Amino acid sequence: MVDAGFLVAQLVNALFYSSILFMIASGLSLIFGITRILNLAHGAFYMLGAYIMYTVMTALPGGASAVLGILAAGALVALIGLLVEAGLLRRVYGKPEEVQLLLTFALILVLDDLAKMIWGPEYKSLTTLPWGSLAVGDYTIPVYHLVAIAVALASAVGLWLLFSRTTLGKKIRASASYPEVAEALGVDTRRMFMATFMLGSALAGASGALAGPVLTAYPGMGTEAIVLSFAIIVIGGMGSILGALAGALIVGFTRTVMAVVYPVLEVALIYIVMAIVLLVKPTGLFGGREVERR
Amino acid sequence: MKPSDYWALVLVFALLAVAPALAGPFYTRLLATGILYGTAAVGFNVLFGYTGLLSFGHAMFWGAGAYTVAIGMVKMGLSFPASLALSLLVVGVIALVTGFLSLRHTRIYFAMLTLAFGQLLYAIALKWRSMTGADEGIYGVPRPLGDVVLYYYLILGVSLVVLLALLKILKSPLGLAFRSIRDNPFRAEVVGYPVNRLRLLSYTISGLATGVAGSLYAPLQTSVNPESLYWTFSAAIVFMAILGGSRVFIGPFIGGLLYVFIQDTAMGATEYWLLATGITLGALILLLPEGIVGYIWRRLGGRLE
Repeated sequence: MVDAGFLVAQLVNALFYSSILFMIASGLSLIFGITRILNLAHGAFYMLGAYIMYTVMTALPGGASAVLGILAAGALVALIGLLVEAGLLRRVYGKPEEVQLLLTFALILVLDDLAKMIWGPEYKSLTTLPWGSLAVGDYTIPVYHLVAIAVALASAVGLWLLFSRTTLGKKIRASASYPEVAEALGVDTRRMFMATFMLGSALAGASGALAGPVLTAYPGMGTEAIVLSFAIIVIGGMGSILGALAGALIVGFTRTVMAVVYPVLEVALIYIVMAIVLLVKPTGLFGGREVERR
Repeated sequence: MKPSDYWALVLVFALLAVAPALAGPFYTRLLATGILYGTAAVGFNVLFGYTGLLSFGHAMFWGAGAYTVAIGMVKMGLSFPASLALSLLVVGVIALVTGFLSLRHTRIYFAMLTLAFGQLLYAIALKWRSMTGADEGIYGVPRPLGDVVLYYYLILGVSLVVLLALLKILKSPLGLAFRSIRDNPFRAEVVGYPVNRLRLLSYTISGLATGVAGSLYAPLQTSVNPESLYWTFSAAIVFMAILGGSRVFIGPFIGGLLYVFIQDTAMGATEYWLLATGITLGALILLLPEGIVGYIWRRLGGRLE
């Protein structure tokens, strides 16, 4: 008989990991859905978030600094996103995909090395998480994990409200679907693209900030995260927030369960699940008409 | 005289044939790496430049080739030619399976899928310790002919054969069919080409060429590690192709050679060589989107794809 406390602890672990993945993947999917740029450096943004969190939390220990760290990571990475969008990516909107991808790939090399320059090559971890933990049977559940799950849920609801209930959300969507019409109606599509890129980047930064203290921060953590985000988007369907949520849960739970049951397939199974989804429903679980055939 | 694909190939390989006499062992080995990178990039470009499909997973063919030769020679005690044959078989099967699945999409989706399948192989190599040595990889792969310079000529010879075969295919009616799909898949379908099967064929040919290059790489290094399967190496292969120029046959080959030397120069110059490489490559792609060879080719009055 498996211990109930163990199951609850693993459930929280899986939800925590899914939350981190959801925030990265939804940011990536959002940026792609609107600007048509698949930002390979999105994972590097996530890494920067983790490092910023580390810096804030080692400078000011305590629960309040964790909140500050998450906010700072979101804001600073949004700012970096703004610089990247305005300085670099704006030149390649509508250019061939390989130019866009390679430019953002070059950006990974630059950001990874900048992180190494600022924070050093070694892994950065915190020995204790803020806010203590709850006891469930023989197991403990860090409150930090629960906060992270709450933040991810809040972002999911926030994104949904933004795009279904607000004028800004409608303007952003219009800028992607009908740019000429939107312009004619007085929407500054350039600024909408910029806002989208900043929002998506902020999600990556905040996600990294939440992940950093648990999963440790290191150069190259972004290149790992970005590929999992791809798997999530393929499973869930491109451009769908609900899809990103479903995909993140599938990947998060697959990995957590396999890590306990059969670690050899921990990562491989994610891609096998992806292949199966692809065979059964090529547009992903929640993907709409959007996928191009040719 | 207008530049031609055959003459460019002959010229480049003639220069590479005399190069070891001038370069020391260090640079001979670096050149050998460049030749293999270049061959892998030309293989990639069969799919990208000639068939219009951007793969971000070609490290899977490179790495699968390298691992199979290493496993064949070290773990199974096979000879080099037998290992190479086994590696072609393995790469071919991987190409057919991942191609069948990935080709349900095109464009950016296809790129993401190939990338994800590459990561699947990476995950397997990282976890299957008894076969692949996990994160340490496999050491002590014997180098055929022993000496680096002799092995350099073997690499040069095999690469030339691969490139000539690819050029022959691309100039044949099959190559024209690939181009027709690249230029307008709808029209190609209406004209009666079996678009999906031809794409899978191009994908497999492309993967095999990259796989041969990877297979020759393991004995050159005398080792293989999971980095050879990681997606950033797939991105590097794309970079080589664009750097040299995807619209000229020889372009990606030169791109591979250049990539090795840019990386080596950056490594020698600074501890932060990734930063330097990133800035150089980013600037090149913005300033010369047709690639270095593409630019020179056009200036000389050559025809671009």
